[in-house]
Amino acid sequence: MIRKILAFSIALIFIFPIFFLITSSFKNNIDLFSLPPKLFIFDFDFSAYERVFGFSKLLKFDPSYGELYLTSRILDSLIVGIGSSSLTLIIGIYAGYYISRANFKYKNFLIMSILSARMMPLISIAIPIYFVYEKINLLDTYIGLILIHTFINLPLAVLLLKSFFDEVPKQIDENAFIDGASKIKILHELIIPCAKGGIAVTFILSIIFSWTEFICALMIGQMKIKTIPIQASIMKTIPSWDMMAAFTTISIIPVFIMILVVRKHFVRGLTLGTVKE
Amino acid sequence: MAAQKSYSLPSFMNSDSSLPWLLPLITMLIVFAIIPFFYNIYLSFHEFVPAKRALLFVGWDNWIRLFTDGVFWGSLKVSLYYTFMCLLIQLVLGMGIALLIDSDDPGFGIIRSILTLTLVIPPAIAGMIFLIMEDANYGLIPWLLKSVGLIGPEDTILADPTLALWGVMIVDIWQWTPFMVLILVAGLRSLPSEPFESAVIDGARPFQVFRRLTLPMLHKVIAVAILIRGIDLWRMVDYVFVLTSGGPGTATYTLSLYSWQRFTFVQWGYGATISLFSLIVILIVGNAFIHFAKVKW
Repeated sequence: MIRKILAFSIALIFIFPIFFLITSSFKNNIDLFSLPPKLFIFDFDFSAYERVFGFSKLLKFDPSYGELYLTSRILDSLIVGIGSSSLTLIIGIYAGYYISRANFKYKNFLIMSILSARMMPLISIAIPIYFVYEKINLLDTYIGLILIHTFINLPLAVLLLKSFFDEVPKQIDENAFIDGASKIKILHELIIPCAKGGIAVTFILSIIFSWTEFICALMIGQMKIKTIPIQASIMKTIPSWDMMAAFTTISIIPVFIMILVVRKHFVRGLTLGTVKE
Repeated sequence: MAAQKSYSLPSFMNSDSSLPWLLPLITMLIVFAIIPFFYNIYLSFHEFVPAKRALLFVGWDNWIRLFTDGVFWGSLKVSLYYTFMCLLIQLVLGMGIALLIDSDDPGFGIIRSILTLTLVIPPAIAGMIFLIMEDANYGLIPWLLKSVGLIGPEDTILADPTLALWGVMIVDIWQWTPFMVLILVAGLRSLPSEPFESAVIDGARPFQVFRRLTLPMLHKVIAVAILIRGIDLWRMVDYVFVLTSGGPGTATYTLSLYSWQRFTFVQWGYGATISLFSLIVILIVGNAFIHFAKVKW
């Protein structure tokens, strides 16, 4: 019993900042700055949300975005997240399946390269890619950011999908191969349906890691494209706190829902497929 | 066979060659890892010269500057300190909490779900939450620390050269301790129960069981957790960017942030040199760790 109370109080400590953020988004500017903080009892105030969605003239920097200035940031994040995760999945499925099934000469070297790619400080990718993109006009475009996020998520996707494919019995491929099916057909019609769950998990985790990525999104997206973390980091000044809270609350709720759906496989994703729960 | 061929894929996809399967992956690795690596090397021997508005060859200047630059050494120290301290604290705290919630009771399952939530918050947004909570005038944390007398009434956290780094590290510890907890709990849950039962029958004390049985059996899981967390700690930039922007002064510059800041000051070559240094260090340390800790994929 003591153990349970202790465990729940620890969980409360960890959830407190999230609780604080969500309640802050409903506070008016007086309650927001009061000390001791008003944690449970305060006047509910939705004006921050009204400003995020409907939008008054207050923060309209860019006329081309009109009223939907902040919601278009969420759209940016969605486009980049879904785009890069789809591309990651397409590349990851073929590579993951091949690495799972085939024995080839440079297999270990390839896996080490994938892991080394995971190790790269993102700034050391972002600076050179900035100049490459500048030359081929990919700066500040969706496709440019989608490509770089695809690269960032590939190590996770390939290794995680490999671990899911490893769980599909090899017998299935062999039998089908003896029956004369081509490898590509085996993958499409037999293996992918067997590993559906794993593929869905990989897709969701890729969206989340694209959703949370900061430094590449900062350098590649400039005026037109700002993902959620970049937009939030701009709203540092005290007068925009309540709006920042409302905006980030809106943007983390979908991620919370997604992660609770795939919670069972989350640890496996975090450890690139090595630790299963 | 030929009759049932419903796919109109190019024939090379059916061949035994590995190339078609791996080609997209290898292309991505070349474009976003190999090319940036060599481009960084190229940049580290060049620098933008404002007077001539051009990127000119400067020889070893950037590297000489790197090793004589006090701010660089400071940021290296911050990166090392940050990585090791956070790793240590998260590992110890994570192990403690993991042992606490390692149970079949459904109540502990809810706790694990709760702990998942911190991990998916964008780090920049986690930084913003703590920016509000650590604000010198309106923040909850300074207010708490002042009321229990841990810091003086005039003290601040993020503007204080000695406290600022801890103000950043607290965010990392809050957000990523659950990472360790979840991985270690998953590891603990997968251990067989027989050795532990026989150890208890033999009269082993809990600490002995932990040292002699749990730790060695969890070796692989702990190694993976350290590896992945270590990589992310080393390249961390979001928190300092949001919370302190490297300040006060240069007290919280990490290598990545310093590199980014030099880049924005149009010292492209020098910025690239710093990031290349940070890249080489993590490639060597990371691959050595994988080798010596025998982490297998």
